[in-house]
Amino acid sequence: MKRLGALGSVLRQLGQAVVVVIGSTLFLSLLLRLLPVGLAEIYAGGFDEASRAARLKELRLDKDPVTFYLLWLRDFVAGDFGPIVSPGGGTTPVADKVGSALPISLQLMFYVQVVALVVSVPLGIYTAYRSGKRSDKAISYGLFTASSIPNFVFGLLLAVFFGVTLAWLPPLGYVSPGENLVEHFRTMILPVASLAIPLIATYTRLLRADVIATLREDYVTMAVSKGLSNKRILFSHVLRPSSVTLFTSFALNMGALMGGTLVIEQLFTIPGLGSEIGIAIFSRQFFALQSYVAILAVGFVLFNTLADIAVGFVDPRTRERRRA
Amino acid sequence: MRSAFRRMDLFTKVCSTWLAIIAILAVVGPFLPLPDPREADFAAPGVKPFSPGHLLGTDSNGYDLLSNVVNGTRVSLMISLVSVLVGGLIGSSIGIISAYVRGRFDGIVSTLFNIILSIPNLVLGLSLVAVLATSPDPSIPVSSNRRIFVIMLSLTFVIIPILGRIARGATLAWVNREFVVAARSMGMRDKDIIFKHIVPNVLPAIYSVGFLAIGVVIVAEGSLSLLGVGVVDGVSWGAMIARVAGEFTYLPHSMYVPVTVLALSVIACNQVGDHLRSRLDLREGKI
Amino acid sequence: MTALLSIKDLVVRFRTPRGLLEAVRGVNLDIPAGASVGIVGESGSGKTVMSRAAMGLLSGSNVERSGSVMFDGQELSSLDSVQVREYFGTGMAMIFQDPMTALNPVRRIGTQISEGLRVRLGMSKKDAMKRSAELLAKVRIPDPEAVLRKFPYQLSGGMRQRVMIATAIACNPKLLFADEPTTALDVTVQAQILNLLADLRKDLGMSMVLVTHDLGVVANNTDFVAVMYAGEIVEMAPTTELFANMKMPYTEALLKSIPKIDAPTEKRLPVIEGRLPNPTDRPEGCGFASRCSYAQDKCRQDRPELEDAGNGHLYRCWYPLGSTIARKSS
Repeated sequence: MKRLGALGSVLRQLGQAVVVVIGSTLFLSLLLRLLPVGLAEIYAGGFDEASRAARLKELRLDKDPVTFYLLWLRDFVAGDFGPIVSPGGGTTPVADKVGSALPISLQLMFYVQVVALVVSVPLGIYTAYRSGKRSDKAISYGLFTASSIPNFVFGLLLAVFFGVTLAWLPPLGYVSPGENLVEHFRTMILPVASLAIPLIATYTRLLRADVIATLREDYVTMAVSKGLSNKRILFSHVLRPSSVTLFTSFALNMGALMGGTLVIEQLFTIPGLGSEIGIAIFSRQFFALQSYVAILAVGFVLFNTLADIAVGFVDPRTRERRRA
Repeated sequence: MRSAFRRMDLFTKVCSTWLAIIAILAVVGPFLPLPDPREADFAAPGVKPFSPGHLLGTDSNGYDLLSNVVNGTRVSLMISLVSVLVGGLIGSSIGIISAYVRGRFDGIVSTLFNIILSIPNLVLGLSLVAVLATSPDPSIPVSSNRRIFVIMLSLTFVIIPILGRIARGATLAWVNREFVVAARSMGMRDKDIIFKHIVPNVLPAIYSVGFLAIGVVIVAEGSLSLLGVGVVDGVSWGAMIARVAGEFTYLPHSMYVPVTVLALSVIACNQVGDHLRSRLDLREGKI
Repeated sequence: MTALLSIKDLVVRFRTPRGLLEAVRGVNLDIPAGASVGIVGESGSGKTVMSRAAMGLLSGSNVERSGSVMFDGQELSSLDSVQVREYFGTGMAMIFQDPMTALNPVRRIGTQISEGLRVRLGMSKKDAMKRSAELLAKVRIPDPEAVLRKFPYQLSGGMRQRVMIATAIACNPKLLFADEPTTALDVTVQAQILNLLADLRKDLGMSMVLVTHDLGVVANNTDFVAVMYAGEIVEMAPTTELFANMKMPYTEALLKSIPKIDAPTEKRLPVIEGRLPNPTDRPEGCGFASRCSYAQDKCRQDRPELEDAGNGHLYRCWYPLGSTIARKSS
């Protein structure tokens, strides 16, 4: 009976996720119809009467918005992300671009989250234990400032300082790990740092607040009174309850990161999904744009849902609350 | 207001002062004796700060940096304030009513908010601007004013669910309290209950997040400009950064000026919003 | 005979945004081995702060502590918060007011009891679990093996309190601090817990410091009592002597405020009027003067010193009960 309750909650969350995904992709699809200039004009404007109808049919622009969306959805789920429209005629599949660009963006996001966690967890615990002392106050102000500064500012400053003034690292470009592992990391350091610094600041502050709150709990005082060492108390009583907010923030920040990669990729000319989105906008490839944005939205919802489910497992109190 | 100022710690005082300064600059900017921001001084391209006639120097084209930053404040602040005020008003109204009415309406509103929020902010803003600011002829870009209008519209749309969700959450916390039930049982009209009881209690939470939202929009405007869809030709912080992004390698001061102003403003917004939130927590007895 | 725990001139201050808060101002207390001492006072009297400071559990960058605390011949106040833990569990232990918050809600009972055994006594996991079951039986919990695997929220309040006691005595401490151990329990369970504590004390030869606001609780369970008010001890005596020869108007007021089951129902519950003085800004004179029905001008101007009435009875009052002025006013 208990297991059914947990499964039911998970199913409900997945159901909500599906609704949200369909809602957001439908929204994006309808958005295209809002174009002040019709898609027909953009893609078939240069064609003569005869071939125009055929072109419109090829791009499915002869269908009404809802059918258009449903057909797009069917293809999207199957992995067909639509066409890149060549002005002269014909199309190339968006899927190719996604295949080459998405892994690069994912690499970037993965590195950023890993670096952010590796730095912020010890830093958060350290500052929590030293809360109130001067070292903590100084670090806290620094963190607050860092979390407020937008990532592109870090990007620009880091690129100038390390990429040009000191010339230690290449300010632009990307090398895949397959080609040259060392160069790959060298090209990734600056973009990862630009995105990771504000994230580290946020995570550290979150973890610090939660650890301080947990340390005030009676059961921690009781654990101290039993004669346990700080290290033991940290690992067996403090860490787990303090990590819930961090976990949630981690998931929410995946979405912010996706927005961040847009700017940083363009800044450092990294050929990821962010750059492709920029290219699509510039060259007015709206079908491609729709699919790119849909991929980001789906990824975000999926990630959030997984994180919510995980939090339910880790923190039994949330589990109880959800079942109520 | 003065007592509120006195209650702030030093850092917050500095931040609110900064915000007041840029607000004043936004208003008096065009009347200050500065060179025309759109007029390039061909005689002095790329000069360093404290040069004659150009207090903060110029970029590689000769545009005066101080003048651009001061005049750009008007556009950037206008975009941020309008987006947050209008978006906040619309979003909060929907959120409060939705939480008060509950039932199916609340379910739909909540799902709609979640749908829009599921698209990362910048991606949503970018899509909206890209779509709405497309010109019929690719060789003729859209006018600067139209651009500004589209950006404001898009960012307003982005803000609506953000503040809407906050307002709804805050209202939910209050709507079940006894004094609301008591007011209803006395025959008080819903409209009055909402305006006299709920709104005053929910407002502090909304405007503390509102300040944070202003910071978010300022950053969004900057990011959009860097991506090429911002106020490209016009004068705004984002436009400045975008324009000098290509030359930061050899003319770093041209980038430091707008970047510093932008970063300081965002920090100030965050600090004020944070201060308001901790005062709210104090009131609620959470500290 | 040297006391097990000897507290001299203990002062505890907190730095708060509203000023320096003096929670404990100069407490002197000796606790002999095997004795049970009661510390009685209202909330805010400083009794909890004092017991935690004495044990060494108070930490934080805003705490100022001075004075000497000698435990078993060792000066504790010179040790830092890590060194002093050597004395926790095996030397001193504490049980807390609310067992729901003092036990970790997401860990099983068995783990929480055996933790101390494994860390302080070096027991293996299996031995520690076995001993934990024995401890549960000792605190009179039925079916100890099953309870070991349970979580705190699955037990009743009284059972949780027993679990906490079992955890505290696990390593056979010489001194047990009991901070309001029965306040969160209902009356019928209170008596059971107090009896349990008395039996355990005899069994283990343990001293106990019983901190409470209820004079009724200390009446039958302590050897001597210290009454605290506004951060200092205002009366201290062997228990029987205190109740026979009460000297402080405050203690008398405390006694009167215990609701009696046979009092006429129309009468209002007796309370002590007024409030504790603001700990960041204490007035001159006796802290109780504004609420004392026998207060005179001298009380409001001069702060009374601790006087000795013989029989180990100390008090801090210009006009104690039984003196001529008090008799005239009452």
